[in-house]
Amino acid sequence: MTRFAIARPQAFLPPYLLERIAGSASPRLRDRARRTLHEDAHFRARAAALTLPAGSAERGRSARYVHDARHLRTLPGELVRSEGDADSGDPAVDEAYHGLGDTYRLFWEVFQRHSLDDRGMPLMATVHYGQDYENAFWDGRQMVFGDGDGELFNRFTIAVDIVAHELAHGVIEHEAALVYAYQAGALNESLADVFGSLAKQYRDRQSAEEADWLIGAGLFTDRVAGHALRSMAEPGTAYDDPLLGRDPQPGHMNDFVETQDDHGGVHINSGIPNRAYHHAAVSLGGYAWESVGPVWYDTLIDPRLASDCEFIAFAELTIDNASRRFGSSSREVAAVHEAWRGVGVLP
Amino acid sequence: MSDASHPPRLTSASVLRLKREGGLAHFPGLARPRRLDCARCSESQRAELQRLLELVAESCRGDAEPAGADRRWLQLSVEDDSGCEIWKLCAVEESVPVALLEWWRRADSE
Repeated sequence: MTRFAIARPQAFLPPYLLERIAGSASPRLRDRARRTLHEDAHFRARAAALTLPAGSAERGRSARYVHDARHLRTLPGELVRSEGDADSGDPAVDEAYHGLGDTYRLFWEVFQRHSLDDRGMPLMATVHYGQDYENAFWDGRQMVFGDGDGELFNRFTIAVDIVAHELAHGVIEHEAALVYAYQAGALNESLADVFGSLAKQYRDRQSAEEADWLIGAGLFTDRVAGHALRSMAEPGTAYDDPLLGRDPQPGHMNDFVETQDDHGGVHINSGIPNRAYHHAAVSLGGYAWESVGPVWYDTLIDPRLASDCEFIAFAELTIDNASRRFGSSSREVAAVHEAWRGVGVLP
Repeated sequence: MSDASHPPRLTSASVLRLKREGGLAHFPGLARPRRLDCARCSESQRAELQRLLELVAESCRGDAEPAGADRRWLQLSVEDDSGCEIWKLCAVEESVPVALLEWWRRADSE
């Protein structure tokens, strides 16, 4: 069993919310403030050392643990479902549990990878994190999912590709450990999308032609003018909304975004390698987990993949890995090469 | 520029800017900087903001960059009466008191 100890930052109880509770006419705000007070009272306890539960000693069998934060920001929260337990009836708990299972199955059945570290590391998730929390993240040891605010965002477990995206960040961290900034960070994000979409396609037995190539379909409420967080097929078209703004992803190097925001555009420029992957998958046709998916996985675990890798070096590695797996004159090599040309990464 | 771990004393002429970044996706509309003019705050609100800035600075002191991906960050800065930025701090959201995030929600977009 692997054990880590991680120090947590502290936060404190802000007094102004007490005043606001008394003064607020809104039940929603009163409820939010009450939870905040409760949370901050618990926040101090977070400094305690955190440990991971037992992993799986049996290759091919996952070790899932789903916790409920009960709308606080304390991790991991209360354990509510473990490996083999029946459905709980709580959609967020059950979606997280099944999403982790679907993703584990992709990595095991297609790539023979046994969990995050290939050594059976436990798959740990927390749902109902925070109050109206509209995000999901990987914290270096577990996945965390908010319920969304109900106004713009639904719960973040609603899309299996989001659950798989977060789990994939754990795999990436254990392999290439791509630096989370600029082009390396965009590759990190793109790989998380690649394996996120692949987990969904594998679960639903969808071919490249049948897949929607969207990340986070169903996450937005009806109030948002958009259909997903990202489109791998057509970056920049996922949403255009008065509150969220317009999907900023480019799909070609001609439109590469130079920015300091978003860690140097990690969720922005990832549209370029995403589109290259999509091009290759559609060009080859059939199931992506039998064609281009393994090429991207081979590249992820390739020791030559540097943590500060940029797009061109990554593209060249995918071509080399396609050649190793399928042969230098294979249609797979040609499709991958053409895909990178199509997005302007390779000449 | 003040040391990041010691926010300056807020006055009625101070401007606090808050920018939330990161997360599972980059939403340009939500990532726009927001602004709080202390001139529009009561004295007790300004004292509360002062306290929250001190808390977030304290909770970030000595922290290494946290591991992981898709985390959100809150970038905070204070400008003095001449518009000069005199303090800046970037804090991972988990280190930010919920009350300060509430201020971000209510602040005006620029």
